[in-house]
Amino acid sequence: MTGLLASTRAELLRLRKWPALWVMGGVGLALNILFGYVFDYLSYRGGSGSEITESLAPEQVLSGLLPAHVPVTTVQGMPMFGGVILLILGALTMGGGYGWGTWKTVFTQGPSRAAAYGGTLVALFTVVIVLVTAAFLLNFSTATLIALAESQPLAWPPATGIVRAFGSALLIYAMWTAAGALAGTLARSPALAVGLSMLWALAIENLLRGVANVLGPIEALANVLPGTAAGSLAGSLGATAFSEDGTPGVLTTLSGGPAALLLAAYTAAFAVAAGLLLIKRDTV
Amino acid sequence: MENTAIEVRDLVVHRGKKPVLHGFSCAIPAGSVTGLLGPSGSGKTTLMRAIVGVQLVKSGTVTVLGKPAGDKQLRHEMGYLTQAPSVYGDLTVRENARYFAALYGLSHKEADAAIKDVGLEEAKNQLVGDLSGGQHSRASLACAIVSNPKILVLDEPTVGQDPVLRDELWKRFRGFAEAGTTLLVSSHVMDEANRCDRLLLIREGKLIADDTPAAVKASAGTDDLDQAFLNLIRAGETPGETS
Ligand SMILES: Nc1ncnc2c1ncn2[C@@H]1O[C@H](COP(=O)(O)OP(=O)(O)O)[C@@H](O)[C@H]1O
Ligand SMILES: [Mg+2]
Repeated sequence: MTGLLASTRAELLRLRKWPALWVMGGVGLALNILFGYVFDYLSYRGGSGSEITESLAPEQVLSGLLPAHVPVTTVQGMPMFGGVILLILGALTMGGGYGWGTWKTVFTQGPSRAAAYGGTLVALFTVVIVLVTAAFLLNFSTATLIALAESQPLAWPPATGIVRAFGSALLIYAMWTAAGALAGTLARSPALAVGLSMLWALAIENLLRGVANVLGPIEALANVLPGTAAGSLAGSLGATAFSEDGTPGVLTTLSGGPAALLLAAYTAAFAVAAGLLLIKRDTV
Repeated sequence: MENTAIEVRDLVVHRGKKPVLHGFSCAIPAGSVTGLLGPSGSGKTTLMRAIVGVQLVKSGTVTVLGKPAGDKQLRHEMGYLTQAPSVYGDLTVRENARYFAALYGLSHKEADAAIKDVGLEEAKNQLVGDLSGGQHSRASLACAIVSNPKILVLDEPTVGQDPVLRDELWKRFRGFAEAGTTLLVSSHVMDEANRCDRLLLIREGKLIADDTPAAVKASAGTDDLDQAFLNLIRAGETPGETS
């Protein structure tokens, strides 16, 4: 227990002081605000209509930018843009310890391997909570500003809607973080880990989903991929699916309950697999 | 030896398919500085890995402070400086030292003291990745000593350091030993050997001398350690040539 606490303290310090984390967090929040608000607001003001919103009436575009819509807007960018960033974060955090040779020292002198890994995981999930909270706060502030600028009434989403969206966002991010951690541990190198996880998230999953439309047996598999679960959870909250001119990554394949369960199972499986690998394998 | 900190008996280690240590035995007294000297590839790093407990051994025993090497209870008693630095290149010296201090349940105070001990105070806010080779390995050294371990295993800590710094580092090592720490320091530079209480000379995985520097020189019949090393090797190859 003291080992886990010590390791959590150390890993939180490492992550907090790590320039790459701030860059990734900043990029994540910037993408969130650009795709969630800036482009749509500009198209609303300009009346031109972006690719995504041109099929919508201006009032519909505006209503999507108001505080009542924040839960959906926040979650819809997470399966794809956010997921990729968290995947990289997980991969770099675990892979970096191999790349810099630091796990070697940690495992010979520090707390037990299990404690060292547990602390890293707790620190990573802390970052996830902070990022999701920051995204919600940022989006609520932006939506409020837009409502004031457009003299719209300030209507808030129901508390249950906020809680569900917050929980879904945590789950989506946690799953991609754990997947990244597993990639980093498997690859034992930060660059290779990032490459492999990008290949998986951006190419292989989409390829499988594409093939599934033609080949029946693949469909069953494609329906339970991690990305499918993340996209479906966002879709179940009301985010417009990509196939209906919505956000990339948002799907309607699964309904909310199964998608959430599947995400939780993936998170646990990835985290445990990475842990076992780290503990059992000869690293040094 | 009555106060033995590290005891290696009949140690056989293979790396890859190749035998690296062939029945190596030695005893390292507590609270001393022992130099492990030998040419590159002679097995210094392999012996150190066995002592730290991260090396798969074929046969033989390694006992550290009365426990088998690699024992859980030894984790907090050991400091190991690997030959290749093992610190985060994208953090500063101070952040690295604080990371390792936190990992061992220690505070900023110990981290700052370790940085001072290795003479990196002026560079403490620099990213480790931007340091010179010598500074980089001293940053790694700071992280190895931050927990004030009873046993310090240092793999070529003085490589790439300028002479003044090397001198300072050896004074530090001496200070640690006087405070009761047992140090095993490897080097392939013979002139550092005179700084040690005892020497282990190793060549091709075999121990060719285990004595004080003075005794090594006396038995080789020369005052020059480089020459002594050569003489001992020749004596080993053709018995009887040198006494
Ligand atoms: N990972 C490895 N796999 C196979 N052989 C190795 C490995 N590391 C070192 N060796 C071999 O073991 C021998 C001793 O190496 P090492 O202990 O590193 O020597 P030193 O530290 O004295 O330079 C060398 O011949 C080296 O080639
Ligand atoms: Mg070596």
